[in-house]
Amino acid sequence: MQGDLTAASPCIQGRRGGRGGETMQQPHRRRDRLTQRTEERTTMTAAWRQLPVLILLILAPCRTVSSKSVDPTTQPLVSIASQPTDTRSVVLQESVDQTTQTLVSIGPQPTDTRTFVLKGDTTFKNVELLNPVNLSLECVWTGSQNKQPSITGYWRKDGAEVQDSRVTVNLKEQQYNLTKVFSIASEENLGNYTCVFGNEFEMYFILGAPQMGEIRDKPIVSYVGDLVVLICKMDEKKPKPNTWTWYKFNGTDREEISAATDPHRYLTINDGWKTKLKVKNVSEADSGLYHCGAVYNISTSMTHVELKVITIMEPLKPFISILIEVIILVAAILIYERSRSKKKEAEANGPNAEPKNAQPQTEDNGGEESSSVRQRKA
Amino acid sequence: MSYTLDRKMPPAPADVSGPKPLDGGWGWMVVFGAHISIGFAYSTPKALSIFFKEIQEDLGASYSEIAWISSIMLAVMYAGGPVSSMLVSRFGSRPVVMMGGLMCGVSMVTASFGSSIVYLYLCIGIIGGWGLCFNLNASLTIISKYFLAKRPLANGLAMAGSPVFLCFLAPVNQFLLGHYGWRGSLLILGGMMLNCCVAGALMRPVAQPCDPRACAPPQEVKQTNNTKSSGSCMKNVKTFVDLSFFKDQGFIIYLVGNVMFIFGAYAPIVFLSAYAISLGVEEYSAAYLLSIMGFVDMFVRPGTGLIANSKWIRPRIQYLFSFAMVFNGTFHLLCPLMTTYTLLVAYAVFFGVGFGMVFALIFECLMDLMGSQRFPSAVGLVTIIECFPMLLGPPAAGFLVDIFGDYKYLFFMCGGVITTGGLFLFVMNVYNYNRLDRASRGDDAEQNQNTTENQEQVSSSEAQMELMDPEAKETNTAQLDPEDRQETG
Repeated sequence: MQGDLTAASPCIQGRRGGRGGETMQQPHRRRDRLTQRTEERTTMTAAWRQLPVLILLILAPCRTVSSKSVDPTTQPLVSIASQPTDTRSVVLQESVDQTTQTLVSIGPQPTDTRTFVLKGDTTFKNVELLNPVNLSLECVWTGSQNKQPSITGYWRKDGAEVQDSRVTVNLKEQQYNLTKVFSIASEENLGNYTCVFGNEFEMYFILGAPQMGEIRDKPIVSYVGDLVVLICKMDEKKPKPNTWTWYKFNGTDREEISAATDPHRYLTINDGWKTKLKVKNVSEADSGLYHCGAVYNISTSMTHVELKVITIMEPLKPFISILIEVIILVAAILIYERSRSKKKEAEANGPNAEPKNAQPQTEDNGGEESSSVRQRKA
Repeated sequence: MSYTLDRKMPPAPADVSGPKPLDGGWGWMVVFGAHISIGFAYSTPKALSIFFKEIQEDLGASYSEIAWISSIMLAVMYAGGPVSSMLVSRFGSRPVVMMGGLMCGVSMVTASFGSSIVYLYLCIGIIGGWGLCFNLNASLTIISKYFLAKRPLANGLAMAGSPVFLCFLAPVNQFLLGHYGWRGSLLILGGMMLNCCVAGALMRPVAQPCDPRACAPPQEVKQTNNTKSSGSCMKNVKTFVDLSFFKDQGFIIYLVGNVMFIFGAYAPIVFLSAYAISLGVEEYSAAYLLSIMGFVDMFVRPGTGLIANSKWIRPRIQYLFSFAMVFNGTFHLLCPLMTTYTLLVAYAVFFGVGFGMVFALIFECLMDLMGSQRFPSAVGLVTIIECFPMLLGPPAAGFLVDIFGDYKYLFFMCGGVITTGGLFLFVMNVYNYNRLDRASRGDDAEQNQNTTENQEQVSSSEAQMELMDPEAKETNTAQLDPEDRQETG
């Protein structure tokens, strides 16, 4: 479990991290490709150009390795925000959850439009997107008591009315149908899309990247000097994130944590749907909120884990107080008993020469005898 | 039908000069101490499971590896019975309970520094288990020494410690876990378990012939008794490893019934919330069912003690015990019919009632059967034998669930076994009492009037014998010895 973080340079970090063999191959291949290209160039250029090229050789692969978290299954060139004109294959899935319907598209056709219908009595739907896509949202409403032949319908995004979205909706087959195509290209296009029918009815779609379900509300408590593992998990039924990122907030600033910035202390292991951040030798300053982000093409969905670092003194204080309480009580009980027995002995050594029991209440026994005898006779 | 209860051996001659049970006064403080002690003993293995998830994440172990901690602790707690009995009879209850409390505290504190699962097995499982074993055994013994007339009530109150402490420890453990992590929580829990030492301090020893303190009184009269008592004291210690108990029919009947009960008793608790969830109940409400059961249990135990103490029930306490078992088993058999949450709540309530009734009486019946002299060793023997059904029951039930994929077979099995055990106890006890009754009536004809009266009083309870004045008792002991040996044969 103890990751070896003694890396001499950021480059070597790529070799040591996470799942040993697999992660090694990608940077190696990348480095080989680049070295090949630069080598070709050096043979062609003059000798005095070799120095900066050599420097380039060393630095180029380092940059590519350290800026990517080690994830062997991603393709080497992954763009976070792409135009809808990207060409990739389409896979559609639906999640099991009834209120959340996931529209999983791993790369749509350039002008691909996915249609999404919201109808009946469900008043909202959660739509999870992976990639930029043209989305056609359709609201179907059966109308109120007095069905007017036509209503004004419009769309709202995050509370603000969408430009040029007001249309007149006609009653067709006892239904009002409001449809609009939205181009979801980047993170700012995600949000709450509400379709409004006149002043009477509203339904909404929540567009976003796949969210992480289990949010741990209790802090992870750790002690100074320990190795802590912080874990973030994405539900395996949802699409796999491209990669993961970790952040720690310093006040309002977001500071990215990666193995490169501080390899002696942090180690990230990304494993598809799960990511682990190992913090070595924690101190009290490491307490706080750690944010992990599942990176998808369309956006990054974040959640946080709280780390609390305490010293051994913290639980020791209640322990010592309980210990003192126990000692006091035991001493009190034993002293009380000794003083009573001494009193009885003093009495016994007096004129009374009858044999006495260790128990002081011998007089009571007589009364109790008769009562228990009475109880016995069934 | 006359209800002859205690066909045990008469108290050893040394005991004749011993004190009569107090049945009150300081005895209630002893009950309080036993309450704490027994409470920790039964609730700690269950309450520790709150830490398991965190320990599992921290040490990287699987769930079954972690669950072994509780099993080892329970197993050692029950298996250490005979050793604990020996120590109690040699040293008395107080040092043993204080030692047990110390061991528990030490076990938790050392466990908090652990970094491997085997280390936790050793610390919590073995050392902790031994500590709890000492606690349990010694507390039960001292109750039998302090009480006779009010013993069922005292037993009920002391055994109520188990649900009370479980209700108390569960939220406390959650709170500690959130603030201090599992290590700090174990440390503080260890401190809390040191309170068993306080409980032990409360267990003021009764003047035992084997107790060095009582063996050195200032009176001259007692000196002669002393030499007699020390001799029989050593003899008693030697007989405690003896398996002569198995010759006692009443003991065998009790043991069989108990084994059947323990086999079926714990599985429904383990699987109740899983069963509820499988019926569609949400997780939080399912967990709540167990809390309901524990809450009901808390009140039923002293209540049963009170009922068992009443004039009408006390002589027939073995029948009450078998009734409680049948009651318990019947509700397990009915459980598969409970398909809604309300019905499950009703089941939980009745389960709590049945469970509490049985556990309030389980040791009282043994005390009743064996008498305060033979009880310490008897209870050790009973617990080590009960160790097996206790460890085998839940996995066997789980196996049934895995094969059939349905929880109802689990409940049928448990209910069936428990009900059979209860009926067995009832039938065998009726048969046994009748047999002894006939034997004692046959002997009556050979006695003269005085001794007949005394004997009837004696055969109906041990208490009456001790309550008579010493001279009459000694003559009766001499005369009764051969008869009683006949009865127990």
